Amino acid sequence: MSKPSDLTYDAVVIGAGHNGLAAATTLARQGKSVCVIESRDGIGGMARNAAIAPGVVAPKMAHLLYNLNPKTLKELGITAPKSVSLPTVSLADDGRHVVIQGDLVIYADGSAHPEAATFAALHKRLTKFAALLGQMSLKTPPSLAGGLMDMATLQELAGLAKLGIGLKRMGKKDMREFLRILLSNAYDLILDDFADAPLAGMLAADAVRGAYAGPRSPGTVFSMMYRLGNGGDVRLPMGGMGAVADAFANAAKLAGCDIRTGCGVAQVIVENDTARGVILADGSVINARSVLSSIGAFQTMQMAGVQHYDTEAVRRLRNLRNKGTVAKVNLVLSGAPDFVGLDAKLTAGRLLIATSATYVERAFNPVKYGDMSNAPVIEAVIPSLSDPSLCSDGQHILSANVQYVPYALAGGWTPAARQKLLKLTLDRLEVYAPGLGRLVTHSEVLTPLDIETQTGAPGGHWHHAEMGIDQILTLRPVNGMARYGFGIAGYYLCGASAHPGGDVMGTAGRNAARQLLKDGVLA
Amino acid sequence: MSAKIKAAAVPMGLIETPFYPRLAALSRAKSWIGWAGYISPLVLDTVEFEYFAIRNQATLFDISPMHKYRITGPDALAVVNRLITRDIRKVRDGRVGYAMWCDEDGMLIDDGTVFRFSQTDFRLCCQEPMYGWLMDVAWGFDVVVEDESDSIAALSLQGPTSYSVLKDAGLDVAEMKPFDWREVEPDLWISRTGFTGDLGYEIWVPRDHALAIWDRLWAAGADWGLRAIGGQALNMVRIEAGYIAAGVDFQPVHAVMRLHRGRTPMELGFDRMVAFDKGHFNGRRALLAQQDAGQRFALVKIDIGGFKPADGALIYHRKRTEVGHVTSGIWSPTAKRNIALAELKAPFGISVTTDLWADVYVHEEGVWRHKMVAVVIETKPFFANTRARATPPRAF
Amino acid sequence: MGKHSSYDAIVAGAGHNGLTTACYLAKAGLKVLVVEKNDWIGGAAVSRSLHDGWTYSNCSYVCSLLRREIVRDLELPRFGLQVIPYEGGASFTKDGDYFAYMSDHDALRREIARHSSKDVDAYERFSQTVIRQCRFIRPFLLRNAPDPTSLKPRDISELLFLVKQAHGLGAKELGETLRFWSMSIGDFLDEHFETDLIKTHIAGAGIIGTGLGVYSPGTAYVLLHHYMGDVDGAIGAWGFARGGMGAISNALGAAFEEAGGEIVMGSGVDKFLVKGGKAVGVALENGDTYYAPIIASNMDVKRTFLKHMDQGVLPADFTKAVERFKIRGSSGKLNIALDSLPKFPAAPEGATFMRGDLHCSASLNELERAYDDWKEGYWSKDPYFDLLIPSQIDPTMAPQGKHMMTVFVQYAPYDLNVDGVRSGENWNDATRKAFADCVFDKIEQGCPDIRKHVVHAEVRSPWDIENEVGLTEGNIFQGELTFDQLLFNRPIPGYAQYDTPIDGMYIVGSSAHPGGGVMAAPGANAAREILRTIGKGKLMPKFAA
Repeated sequence: MSKPSDLTYDAVVIGAGHNGLAAATTLARQGKSVCVIESRDGIGGMARNAAIAPGVVAPKMAHLLYNLNPKTLKELGITAPKSVSLPTVSLADDGRHVVIQGDLVIYADGSAHPEAATFAALHKRLTKFAALLGQMSLKTPPSLAGGLMDMATLQELAGLAKLGIGLKRMGKKDMREFLRILLSNAYDLILDDFADAPLAGMLAADAVRGAYAGPRSPGTVFSMMYRLGNGGDVRLPMGGMGAVADAFANAAKLAGCDIRTGCGVAQVIVENDTARGVILADGSVINARSVLSSIGAFQTMQMAGVQHYDTEAVRRLRNLRNKGTVAKVNLVLSGAPDFVGLDAKLTAGRLLIATSATYVERAFNPVKYGDMSNAPVIEAVIPSLSDPSLCSDGQHILSANVQYVPYALAGGWTPAARQKLLKLTLDRLEVYAPGLGRLVTHSEVLTPLDIETQTGAPGGHWHHAEMGIDQILTLRPVNGMARYGFGIAGYYLCGASAHPGGDVMGTAGRNAARQLLKDGVLA
Repeated sequence: MSAKIKAAAVPMGLIETPFYPRLAALSRAKSWIGWAGYISPLVLDTVEFEYFAIRNQATLFDISPMHKYRITGPDALAVVNRLITRDIRKVRDGRVGYAMWCDEDGMLIDDGTVFRFSQTDFRLCCQEPMYGWLMDVAWGFDVVVEDESDSIAALSLQGPTSYSVLKDAGLDVAEMKPFDWREVEPDLWISRTGFTGDLGYEIWVPRDHALAIWDRLWAAGADWGLRAIGGQALNMVRIEAGYIAAGVDFQPVHAVMRLHRGRTPMELGFDRMVAFDKGHFNGRRALLAQQDAGQRFALVKIDIGGFKPADGALIYHRKRTEVGHVTSGIWSPTAKRNIALAELKAPFGISVTTDLWADVYVHEEGVWRHKMVAVVIETKPFFANTRARATPPRAF
Repeated sequence: MGKHSSYDAIVAGAGHNGLTTACYLAKAGLKVLVVEKNDWIGGAAVSRSLHDGWTYSNCSYVCSLLRREIVRDLELPRFGLQVIPYEGGASFTKDGDYFAYMSDHDALRREIARHSSKDVDAYERFSQTVIRQCRFIRPFLLRNAPDPTSLKPRDISELLFLVKQAHGLGAKELGETLRFWSMSIGDFLDEHFETDLIKTHIAGAGIIGTGLGVYSPGTAYVLLHHYMGDVDGAIGAWGFARGGMGAISNALGAAFEEAGGEIVMGSGVDKFLVKGGKAVGVALENGDTYYAPIIASNMDVKRTFLKHMDQGVLPADFTKAVERFKIRGSSGKLNIALDSLPKFPAAPEGATFMRGDLHCSASLNELERAYDDWKEGYWSKDPYFDLLIPSQIDPTMAPQGKHMMTVFVQYAPYDLNVDGVRSGENWNDATRKAFADCVFDKIEQGCPDIRKHVVHAEVRSPWDIENEVGLTEGNIFQGELTFDQLLFNRPIPGYAQYDTPIDGMYIVGSSAHPGGGVMAAPGANAAREILRTIGKGKLMPKFAA
């Protein structure tokens, strides 16, 4: 259903990343007319494919799915692209690599791992707790603004009570354990039960994936649990992340959304403290009864204009922490690399360089001072080994998340600095895959600054805003603006800086759209 | 070892305003208080005579400790309108407007006066320190905020002969209407404003011109009964004028430690100061919500039975239910009435306005007495005299 | 040797919490014995004369958190306790500048303005938040931690109290509170101030005694923990106990003895005696044995349960939970006798703020790097210290004209790393001296002549503190103050109300809620629990909030 520009859409969505698309689809499936505006030439945001060399399709930024919520997908009418579940290989300096999949742990050579039972028990416990928290991800955070006697508050409390009942049903022992570890740090939790070796390293690395935190930082168990909300399966989408984004886009189009790319929104039109549409970068106007923004929270405010916000809200949004710590390195290889001690199946898995929890914490230290780690945590995957459609002529693409790399490097991101980052990534990988360097025909380095420039993600941060305990749930993105409504009537925040945060999930977008409908904006 | 700088030491305790030498010479009572870190007279000789000087002659009060901020730049008007609740576009160049500004919950941060030089140049004058707040309000706007508090000295010249004092000092303000604002001589600005509800002016000069203007006014005032005064007398007349004082009739919400002490402009009786239609300003949404939900308190003017000042008295309904308290109360020597400002809990002071009582405590030379006296809400001014607004003003 | 061999209650360890519990029990009419391994009482609240003529508060050194309700109940001033507030403090930079905190509010504003005009109002905003948090938290200190897993009426009532307090804040303030409690002090300060020196001066309180860095979430709470005390109602004020921190313990000891209590010194507990799941007494290292149905341990949980109890009597998962409870040594101490008052040249002559807490750290990154050093098992190359010279206002601490200086150092690890081997035993004369030199070098940044004035110095590593005082790893709080170890999690979930799996056995020290610092709150709360359990709850005074 396409509308000429002098008519009024029910909703305009800023940004065609997967959250924006999810918000649009949610509204459209309720019969609303929606237009999604994307400034870049293609949809997908941080979840897209890029042809970075002839015959090579690379996952530009995001490369794996960790947290796709089946309920969300079903609601949106999305048929997720085919994906394979990958084992995780935590590489060890002594060659005794550890393989983890689901709740199973073994060595790469097939021999039993002494901590297998301990790991299974921890995994079980954490996924149980995570399922509880996962319930919260599909709800708007409670506001409690009306006080305990207000009906709306009581409804919210009932939702929390359901959570509480879920907690109580776990039994006293589990409930106590949940309340104990909820706010603790991953390093202590892990090393209470595991030796400080590659298995512990993997747990620690996953706890701080994409975060400005080390495993010793309090709050990292919370992120660990939150990430496991949908089971913690690691999946590689066939056709690349672009296929996932396309699935979101197709569902949106199928539901009747208009998607426009190549020209972004310059400003949100506000009249009488109400959002009335947008003005694009080329000056054209699109009228709408509501506007949803999937860009960063601070940027969302600026899109409408600071003058429409209370000073305190501006100050909170200015203080929103979003220091990206992950760089993306894409390597085009002339042939399949040889990781010593790994068979073909494992080489196609999620390869992790995080040899211990201490290793991960040490990697974090330099980024606090604007330096990059000399011994970074690397999460790498070679999608072309599972999905031959991605590369031709025997080429392969090695996609690596390199953590911790500062957004604002001391001395600036000079070409020499980029070269240094590339070199230390290659050197680190070479330890486990000798000869890798010789296979590299093309490389691409995206620093957090590049990620910001190319996608608008503030600070180059995956989640648009740090997922620390002080910036989640009722405090996400900031106190007082955690229920998707963004000050101005009819203006909603629907991206990763809203609850429940990032990872390719679509839940933030879906929640925001639902809240908009619930608030009666389009009644 | 690198050369070490020797850091300066800041002065401890209270410091002098530019006018302090003149005030110190005049002080017989030696009754000083600290005001914004400055030495300020509470009483110079006696409250009684200082009070009557305000209502009968002319008085000088040093208002240099007031905080003053200059907001300049292309977005100055937008910033001021974002800050305050009223619409500054309705105040023309060369005029002064009384203003209130609020936090995001609609609670008063402070009240003060906005001096409009031009649409790109404003001065804000208020009791509370405001620099940090103004810098935050101005964030994202093209303005410069400058703290003029120390660099601008100011005097309040108030009383029926104040116009005559200025005239004899060679300062022509005959055509100045109330709330006008003019550079009467180079670097000498005068506003027809004040805290007394009477005829009066405020004079604003750079710090190093302070003593010169004092001496000039002092010489001209000799025949007009000019007298220097302290804050206690001023406090009496401002209650007569029905003016509220920060920290007394409301708690500036950034300075108060306890929660839920803030009050909105409507709760202080200033509905007319809130321009909901001018676009967004700080606290607008919260104030709209309060309009729907109803105000929680009402600050009202009251007339109290008996002759004992009721400062601090609790207010009762039907002599039984505690419904509020007196925030500022005096016996008015000019109105010959026992007057006060009082805060009442809604609906008292709003829909329930009768059968109110004040429990007045009096300390009589070692004996405490208290008595319930009837209270009547007063809507008209306690003090009104046409001399306050006459243009040109009468000689006395 | 005690007068009897059987008592109504035995308290193991004469630290200030143990003495507090003992006082309340004795005043309720119980026959109470306190056993103490050292020849002096006080634990970490002591005054020691280690150099002739000088008195050192050689562990804890300033007082603020001691609950005034307890001081009043036990009439401690009658037994000589006086706390004198100190004024001000300062942080010095390498190049001759400083930031002084002044008690005079107007002067403080001018001092902040000297560094940054924007930071003046930021300071007010920061103070308003901290004071509000202090006011919110204080009622909880002398109450049991609520147990959210329990349906017992008392626990429901504690939970309701918490909900009521939280509700009274209002939604916005509740959000700000949750945020404050989960932030790092570094991030919180970065939101308010632009001057690194001012931030650093304030941030120290967020890392004292703690195995976390200024940018670790949860350190804003640690700062709150240090600010929530008061001296006569002035929130956040700190003071010197006249005569040193031992004055507190000595007053408690005297109050206890007046109430009929007995103290036996010189031999510590070897084993807590348990029979059929019930506490029956203690066996001391010197062979003496005492019996009582109530045993209160002032030692931390690890020492109590892992060192002095047969493993078989405890449930396996309780023992595991105790092993998991984090008690990490992160600080050291220097106690110094000076021949005269040393000069800090940057400070104005006669500045009164010199009587307060002094530091030489100038940036938050410096503090964070200090934490990084500790994680690797080294003392901080650029340590943070909290330095005071109490003898400037307390004439009892040093001979006339001479002075006593107390220097609390963050960070110093318990398990010192020497050539890749981490162990407490690596602390010896050589490493202690190297540590002291590092600290003196840092002090010289603000006080170049310090070494010339030193008459005597006691250098204490976490290892030394553990051995002498009995605090595991020398951790001053008897357990980290992180949320997995606070409130209903302290010390062990399910045993957060001073009780233990052993009938009649209680934990009364800082390992219990509300945690460490010289507060006496754990000791008093524990006494209340004990008396309630034996049906004498009415004999416990009700604390005015």
